[in-house]
Amino acid sequence: MTKFSVEAKVGFFVVIGMIVLAYMSMKVGKFEYAGEKGYELYAYFDSAEGLVKGVPVQIAGVEVGRVKEISLEAGKAKVAFQLDPEVQVGEDAEAAIRTKGVLGDKYVEVIPGSPQAQPIKPGGRIVRTQSPANIDTLLKQLSSIGTDIKEITQSLSGVLGGREGETSLKTIMDNIRSIAETLNETIQKNNENINRTLDNLAIFSKDLKEISGTNKEAVHEIVANFRQVSDQFRDALIAFSEITGKINRGEGTIGKLIHDEETIRSMNETLVALKGITEKINRGEGTIGKLVQDDETADNINAALSSINEYLQKEERFRTYVDYRGEYLFDSDDVKSYLSLRIQPKEDKYYLLQIIDDPSGKKTVTETTTTVGGTSTTEYKEEIDKDEIKFSAQIAKRYYDLGLRAGLFESTGGIAADYYLFDDRLILSLETFDFDPDENPHLKFKADFTPFQYIYLTVGFDDFISTEGTESFFIGGGLRFSDEDLKTLLSGAPIPKN
Amino acid sequence: MIKIIETIGRGLIRFIEEFGQVMFLLMSAATWMVRPPARLRAIFKQMEFVGVNSLAVVILTGAFTGAVLALQAYHGFRLFGAESLVGSTVALAMTRELGPVLTSLMVTGRAGSAMAAELGTMRVTEQIDALYTMATNPIKYLVVPRIVAGVLMLPVLTIIADFVGILGGYIVGVGLLEINSGIYVAKMIEIVELEDIFNGLVKSACFGLILSLVGCYKGFYTTGGAQGVGQATTRAVVIASVSILISDYFLTAAMF
Repeated sequence: MTKFSVEAKVGFFVVIGMIVLAYMSMKVGKFEYAGEKGYELYAYFDSAEGLVKGVPVQIAGVEVGRVKEISLEAGKAKVAFQLDPEVQVGEDAEAAIRTKGVLGDKYVEVIPGSPQAQPIKPGGRIVRTQSPANIDTLLKQLSSIGTDIKEITQSLSGVLGGREGETSLKTIMDNIRSIAETLNETIQKNNENINRTLDNLAIFSKDLKEISGTNKEAVHEIVANFRQVSDQFRDALIAFSEITGKINRGEGTIGKLIHDEETIRSMNETLVALKGITEKINRGEGTIGKLVQDDETADNINAALSSINEYLQKEERFRTYVDYRGEYLFDSDDVKSYLSLRIQPKEDKYYLLQIIDDPSGKKTVTETTTTVGGTSTTEYKEEIDKDEIKFSAQIAKRYYDLGLRAGLFESTGGIAADYYLFDDRLILSLETFDFDPDENPHLKFKADFTPFQYIYLTVGFDDFISTEGTESFFIGGGLRFSDEDLKTLLSGAPIPKN
Repeated sequence: MIKIIETIGRGLIRFIEEFGQVMFLLMSAATWMVRPPARLRAIFKQMEFVGVNSLAVVILTGAFTGAVLALQAYHGFRLFGAESLVGSTVALAMTRELGPVLTSLMVTGRAGSAMAAELGTMRVTEQIDALYTMATNPIKYLVVPRIVAGVLMLPVLTIIADFVGILGGYIVGVGLLEINSGIYVAKMIEIVELEDIFNGLVKSACFGLILSLVGCYKGFYTTGGAQGVGQATTRAVVIASVSILISDYFLTAAMF
């Protein structure tokens, strides 16, 4: 191995470096489209957003030039680009700014137009342009489409979803099922009948065959009779034709009537009068005319209809509640039960009817005064009927969160106030009744809490200013159903699946 | 307190003094460079030392840098499905930044330190003074060939490092990570510009000047015997490396 001189080593090294540089430059270097090579065209765009100098110009995806200059001219973007000299662009060509790839690089696409068109001369303008799609506008359109779709699905879910939709669907399915069942049953039941009918038919046809076979002569006779009848009928027709002919000719009474000029005239007159009447009606003259033509009539009818509608809507608000509540009284270790019916014609007004089974019973005080020799003795006799049932009948009115009640409370007169909290989930009530001059009135405080739809809990203090020691703390609960709930409960019985 | 401020002031003055001396050395080297006779033999010797002998270390550095760059870029680009851009990333990074900088740093470590040690030893053994007595200008004889070699050889080393780095990236990207080779090369060619390569080479020439100048300066003005030579060598490497990295930023900002 010969030893290289220093100069050879360095020279060799530099040559390698030069070769590498040349190779990389050739690979990487792009032939510039600047200057003398090619020719220039320009186009106006509404927006040259994202376009930069030097980006490629393509025809059918093939790079044919570069964007040379972007400038603003009269509010529009003027884009000048250099094209290869061998590329011809027709006058009906179109220039568009397009986006390349995910990273959104912009380039100019030229759609060259028809081959017959005159080519644009160097320095000319491409008239037709397409600006890049604005993302904001697109998004706006998309969002409005989305809103529409949402509305559609919402109304669909309104129709199909919800308890009402479910119930009606269920009803429809039930009906279909019962129809099918009935049909099936009918067919099964009448299978025998049909068979029997077919049998009868067979017997009948057999009989018929026998009859026609044995009584051929009788049949012939019948046919002959029939022919005779038809002959007579034909004669009758001829006579009728003669009569009509006479009428037509104006002979006889009817003929005269029809052919008389006077008859026709009077008929005409009648028709004219009739026409006059209808015209009057049309013009709004006379009672009927006024009725028909007057706007007020229509208004009245409309008003009547709307008031009927309103009435019907009110009817819809009409609610009925059935309510059972039990209160466990701590002091007497007993349960007091209430069964009530609440009729609510309006949101803010209701009537309450109650049957109460009070363990303390109904107290009856009998006053007996006996006079013996000037001295009168008065005896009080208290009777307690444990089985006696008490009644309440109240009228209630609500003002926002405050409700007032008045009427019969446990078979005595009284008033009460209710305070509604947390969307009516918690109701605080104070009832005052049984006003007796000798005793303190019966006062009852209670709080009803409704955690679920049908069930509520209650806690309170009954008769808390009693002088007779009947005051008691109580706790209890109850069930409450509206008419709607009852309907659902009754109709919502499970459907057997088979 | 005043001592701290004094320290800062002294540091600044020393920096300016030293910078001035470096500039003087550069000036005299420039003047001596154009004065005949040209010491071609010395220049070639230095070129061999700086360029040819650094080839192995530069190739190794470049190849593995490109390879690891491809590996790292692949992980990043895979997150948004742009694996095809790995090639362009490697090529751009190598030509614009890593090729020039890493080559210069390697050469600084190899040749810059050697320059400082050589000239330092000559200084402390009074060989430089002997040169004066022989009517040979030591700057012309010792400094100019080294600076010329640095400025000329660094771009050559850099272009080789660029190429080898791109090759290393290609081997990893296409061979190991199975990126389509056609797309890899096409994207690379599409994105990398000739300008990127040339600017990288200009940068590397500047770095070559910096590393040889600092090495010569530290060696030429060495004082304090063998210990001083050692110190000069270390300082030459540190100052040259830091200067390369700092000037890299400003050169990049100015050129790209």
